[in-house]
Amino acid sequence: MLTAEKIPPRGHDKNAPQPAWIEHLRGRYTTEREVDAILTRRLGRRAGPGYAPQSLATLRAGVEALLRDELDEPFTVLDTRWLTGGASKVQMAFTLDWVEPGVGRTRTPMVLRMEPAESIVETSRLREFQLIRAMRGVVPVPPAYWVDADGSHLPYPALIYGFVPGATKPSTATSGVSGLGINFGPALRGPLASQFVEHLAAVHTFDFSGAQLSAFDVPQVGTQSVEWGLNWWARVWEEDCGEEVPLMNLAAHWMRQNMPPADRICVIHGDYRAGNYLFTEADARITALLDWELGRLGDRHQDLAYLATPVFGHLAEDGVTFLASGLLPPDELYEAYEKASGLTVDPRRLHFYKIYNAFFLAALTLGTGYRIARGGKTHQDVLVAWLIGIGSLLLDEIRVLLEKGF
Amino acid sequence: MMVRPDTQLRTIIRAMTEVVLPAVDPANQMAQEQARVVVGTLLLMAERLPLQFQFDRDELQRLTDFAEQLAGVASGGPRTSDLIIRLAADARAGRDVLERAKADPAELVDTVRQLRAVAGAVVDTVFADDAAASCRDAVWHAVLTMSRDQLLRERAWVLPQGFEQDPSSLPSLDSLLGTAAATG
Repeated sequence: MLTAEKIPPRGHDKNAPQPAWIEHLRGRYTTEREVDAILTRRLGRRAGPGYAPQSLATLRAGVEALLRDELDEPFTVLDTRWLTGGASKVQMAFTLDWVEPGVGRTRTPMVLRMEPAESIVETSRLREFQLIRAMRGVVPVPPAYWVDADGSHLPYPALIYGFVPGATKPSTATSGVSGLGINFGPALRGPLASQFVEHLAAVHTFDFSGAQLSAFDVPQVGTQSVEWGLNWWARVWEEDCGEEVPLMNLAAHWMRQNMPPADRICVIHGDYRAGNYLFTEADARITALLDWELGRLGDRHQDLAYLATPVFGHLAEDGVTFLASGLLPPDELYEAYEKASGLTVDPRRLHFYKIYNAFFLAALTLGTGYRIARGGKTHQDVLVAWLIGIGSLLLDEIRVLLEKGF
Repeated sequence: MMVRPDTQLRTIIRAMTEVVLPAVDPANQMAQEQARVVVGTLLLMAERLPLQFQFDRDELQRLTDFAEQLAGVASGGPRTSDLIIRLAADARAGRDVLERAKADPAELVDTVRQLRAVAGAVVDTVFADDAAASCRDAVWHAVLTMSRDQLLRERAWVLPQGFEQDPSSLPSLDSLLGTAAATG
């Protein structure tokens, strides 16, 4: 993202990317190997067909094909039905009648989580699967059972995990699409906020050294993780944007010149906010942290800045106080986090990662959202196109933060 | 600006045909019929919207020609004469509008995108090529100032989507675009 050669020649078609351009991008933006593989696969398929609507019968057949490879005992897939999976993934709930190791024959409610032809968040199912498994016992997550990492059995790559009871918002709450601006109400905020913080602290203090995370590259302490992240999203922006935004160029340069070294490398959820966890309303208990697809190893301040992203929160009843992720003012969340984790919260790194997060969200909404909605690549094109509207708010957040400085 | 009606229409048609229509109660004939008419109308809009400006301009061209011809051949009493004078004046106004409406909207959008691309590349080179600090500062402030004004318009454009926490803090789109027109 550093020279004029970024301008594709006239006539260059991002919807039918040429191999030489793909290789150019791969060389230009060094990032984790699995991230590179997924983005490269995406571009290789871009000129291909859009998302073809899948029937429950097709997905059921795909699940059965996957399980025939995984299970020795007879099984039955029952009660298939659609779940709303947000803008990103196709989700089908079902019940599996099977012989669970150590349990015997039983019926287990499960969820199939499958990619569309291209997702607004193009990520690795293998990484998501590994991270959910690694987090089992650390924080509430669904049991992750199987993964079809390259779509060998299902129409597109997918994973299967356990169905967890709960909801993303109170039964009477209003919110925007994709869980934006969920208002939990005063009674739920306190109990949810304390768990929200404690779970994040547990994620960040988890010792991942013994975990099976082969799809992740482990960055060195310092700036390697932030550089990989910057390259990831700068590449996505360049691959997808339909028109340049000089402010994005400016932000990218500022970030490269101000990359903060991480003092420790943690598991990062990457999308830690309201709407991405389930809770049971009766006891205000968080039952599962979901949507780990953006997870990586990096600086905790990425998550800490993210949870206070303006579009994920709202103003309290007083019309003045901003509630990060619809829970508490950011400073109160950070104070609680420091107590729960024993880790410090560095305002300078928070500032940096606010810009980083707004940059990657702008790349997703304005870049990928535009590209895949026009290409008919998802099951939710109309929702993806709707989310493009957030882009200008994210860009304005970048502008304000750059003007403010550290 | 990437939220444009052509993209929106394309996605709405897909949602209607692949998700909504199959779920409409087959026994509800009015709902079935109206859903199909909605899709048909949207398809017509998607196909014709890119040609709307050319159609209107072509119509103005023809009507202006016709008005000039009519003004030249028509005659009659005082009432007709008054109308002919008015028609001739309106035809001149039509010529003026036609003169100022030469560029197609698609050409305008393409030019905006090209300017965006090259301006972005200039930002890249200024910061990558070790330009003087004063130059970088000037570019930095120019980008931020342009972005503030541009983003106000873009946010006002999508205000009805409900993403703004304090909608009252945004000037109206009309006032923003009016200001832009007044200041050139």
